[in-house]
Amino acid sequence: MAGLKTIIVLSFILAIGFLLVILSSALWKNYLPLLVVATYVVAPIPNWICGRAANPDDFMESSGSVLIDFGRFLTGFFVVMGIALPSLFAHCALIQYPAMIMSIVGGLLIYGTIISFTMFFQEENEF
Amino acid sequence: MMASHRLFRFPKPAWINSANTRTAGVYLSGALFSLGFFFFVDASAYSRSAKNGSTVHVTFVDWIPGICSALGTLVINSIDKSRLGADSFSYSGNGVAWKARLVLFLGFALMAGGLAGSVTVMILKYIVPEYPFPTLWFGVANVIANALIMLSSAVLWVVQNMEDEYTYNLAL
Repeated sequence: MAGLKTIIVLSFILAIGFLLVILSSALWKNYLPLLVVATYVVAPIPNWICGRAANPDDFMESSGSVLIDFGRFLTGFFVVMGIALPSLFAHCALIQYPAMIMSIVGGLLIYGTIISFTMFFQEENEF
Repeated sequence: MMASHRLFRFPKPAWINSANTRTAGVYLSGALFSLGFFFFVDASAYSRSAKNGSTVHVTFVDWIPGICSALGTLVINSIDKSRLGADSFSYSGNGVAWKARLVLFLGFALMAGGLAGSVTVMILKYIVPEYPFPTLWFGVANVIANALIMLSSAVLWVVQNMEDEYTYNLAL
């Protein structure tokens, strides 16, 4: 399923996302939108860490599922932060509105790439 | 299993207890919390930005309701829900259920206090002196932020209570 085509398409989308975010910063010589990239790179990390730390095999033990929930909560937090941060900057006149749109679209593309990448490559080592 | 003593005509939809709904609920809760948090951060950043024409700024007083709400969320969702009804079982001694209810009450009080406090701050600091809208936004954003944090906590609570039935179905 995860063939060569998938990898090529995903890397193109990732490159477009980075292009948009970097343009949104460099066009106005204001490098605050780069924080969006940091947010979206950090976003899946709580899920990974908590997924490793918790044992998904025991259903009766609630402590494992609490850790997983905490990771998901943090991931949801970071994903919305990636959208909220540029709009906050634009609302407070720290960046321009076109820069906000470009960085949000670019950030969503980057995050979508990360998510679909993990989805494609987790399917193989399951079971 | 609850089909025999159902109260309403419509059956409970099957997706309510699925694991996917639970996962989505937890993500939604985090998203709502983040949205609330950034509504308030937006207000405080706006008050220090060049666009704020007035001399009124967001000070520590505006932060207190948000801190109360966040603490309340933390307290409410740290409690093990199965301990709340523990008095009916014989194996739980030392009044676990009583302590759990006390801590839960503290959590709900913190959260309600946060929401009420945000309304108080909006009225006393921004509405009574009759500030126009860019300044009034600090108070409105504070109320929105606290309401969203409360909503996030409610979603997390409902979703965590769903888990029990889900695991029960698995165990049978």
